[in-house]
Amino acid sequence: MTTTTQATRRSNTVRANLIALPILLVVGLVWVYPFLWTISAAFKTQAGMFTSGSSLVPDQLNFDNFVRAWVNAGFSGYFFNTVLYSVVSTFIELVKAALCGYVLARYEFPGRTLLYRMIVGTLFIPVASIIVPQFVLIENLGLLNTRAGVILAMSGGAGALYVLLFVGFFSSVPTDLFEAAKLDGAGFLKTFGLILPLAKPVIAVVVIFQFISSWNEFNIPLVFTLGQPELQNLAVGMMSFQGEYATDWTGFAAGMTISFLPMLMIFLFFQNYFTRGLAGATKG
Amino acid sequence: MTTIAPAPGRERVTESDRSPAQRAPERVDHSRERVRGLDRVWLLVFLAPFLLLYLGFTIWPLIATIYYSFFDWSGIGPIENFAGVDNYGSILADPLFWVSVVNTLIFALLTTVIKLPISLVAAILLTRKWLRGKRFFRTVFFAPLIIPVAMAGLIFTYLLNPSNGALNAILRDLGLVDEGFDVFANRWSALLVLVLVSIWQIFGQYMIYWMAALQNVPEELYEAAAIDGASEWKKLTRITLPIIKPVAVIITLLGLVNAMHVFGLVVTLTAGGPGTSTYVVSYFIYQNAFGRVPFDYGYASAAALLFSVIAFVLVSAQGLAVRRAQRLRKEYGV
Repeated sequence: MTTTTQATRRSNTVRANLIALPILLVVGLVWVYPFLWTISAAFKTQAGMFTSGSSLVPDQLNFDNFVRAWVNAGFSGYFFNTVLYSVVSTFIELVKAALCGYVLARYEFPGRTLLYRMIVGTLFIPVASIIVPQFVLIENLGLLNTRAGVILAMSGGAGALYVLLFVGFFSSVPTDLFEAAKLDGAGFLKTFGLILPLAKPVIAVVVIFQFISSWNEFNIPLVFTLGQPELQNLAVGMMSFQGEYATDWTGFAAGMTISFLPMLMIFLFFQNYFTRGLAGATKG
Repeated sequence: MTTIAPAPGRERVTESDRSPAQRAPERVDHSRERVRGLDRVWLLVFLAPFLLLYLGFTIWPLIATIYYSFFDWSGIGPIENFAGVDNYGSILADPLFWVSVVNTLIFALLTTVIKLPISLVAAILLTRKWLRGKRFFRTVFFAPLIIPVAMAGLIFTYLLNPSNGALNAILRDLGLVDEGFDVFANRWSALLVLVLVSIWQIFGQYMIYWMAALQNVPEELYEAAAIDGASEWKKLTRITLPIIKPVAVIITLLGLVNAMHVFGLVVTLTAGGPGTSTYVVSYFIYQNAFGRVPFDYGYASAAALLFSVIAFVLVSAQGLAVRRAQRLRKEYGV
């Protein structure tokens, strides 16, 4: 009896896969087509690019585009800026959110409820609507057209969501743990140092979210680096590149290819941790 | 994401429910302690980084936006040209502002309505045990997120261009069109392209949100249902959807609000065109504040404020509607 039910279950599984996989493959191909097209265009010659239509096969394997994009068009600089902005702003976001979330979750102090409510209330404020005063502030700090100014603007505005993630996590840590730490004579800092490693799933989520969003950030770098190409990140620099070398699409494609390969590798590497971390952080 | 916004007193309630004996007034909160002595200094040190940046880059800009909106100010020199509500008056009468608002709302609603259900379907499919190649397909759908959205816009301007883009090449090969057809020549097709490219780019993020939500559904429930002979559809509508509903509300809110910020895609795909027909609010603000001389910070601020109010009303209306629906459903037991 059991062998037959197992057999039917197995054949059901095969049938379900036979239906789902072809659909997923077709949709998936459409999904990655722009990537494949970009990678293939990076190897094409200008002439080949203009006549190839939707074809993914380059007319020849041509590495000139990569050299031109990286060296002449300054993609190396854009790339460096993007990495710098993403890493530093992710670090700032993480530190400030973890510290603030910890204190909000564990301690009672005057103004705590008010601060908490304010953070919730400002959760959904769009960047575009407060970018003018941010610009004025950076200008008054003398940081306009500096990398520090861009980083400050990128890591200053966001972060309410991350604080709330940390508050949620630290409130769920059993009080006994803190009592035990206290009995062992651990002070404020030591206790924090003991508890923080438990928050790994939340840390993973904050790092990945903030890294992706600063990697993609466009509005802030655009406004804060107007007319300063050497400070621009990939997204903004790419646009001015396209304005300047409007016909050099193969160089553009090569620059894109250079810029998304590292991110793809990071994602492949962290993929499992990412979903698991997100699930852990949202467990209610 | 139910722990994102725990009511400040939630732990308190459960705590006191569990042990009524401890419900003494001086121990209102069992889980949070008061700070003493040197710890006060540490508390301030811990709060300082967030507070400084929060006050500087969120709270002050909010207040300043309100203040600027009553002045005629180009960003140069002191703010002294008090304009009263003139900025508001001219914005309400500015057809471009309303075009921007309408486009932003269309964009936000359309992307949300399309991306949420299909990313949920994808998430359910890609978490099935029987499916082969899950890892591969997750990577495929997540991949567009690693391209900055502005760059994605540039790729698509080429793929969709009427003379030698891939879309037109395919349409021509299929014999559907004779000559190049330009999706950016018309307001509605341009808006549709914005919506579709945005969904393509952000899809993976929402798929991951849903996958995280689905991991919170206890496996035992499915096993119990399987023993009772429930169909896959029944399992979905009776177990999965009800359990992930609270998270679904938050994901919907995030989707709507994020879509209202759309900026980079508009700059690179349509630049507001044809003409000014695909302007969105963030682009309108950018153009007024930084895009053209003379800069008009007051006007941009008033626009930003008006739109924030509109967005806030819409988002809270959506939240209220969901809560009402849930209450009604509870009353009638459906």
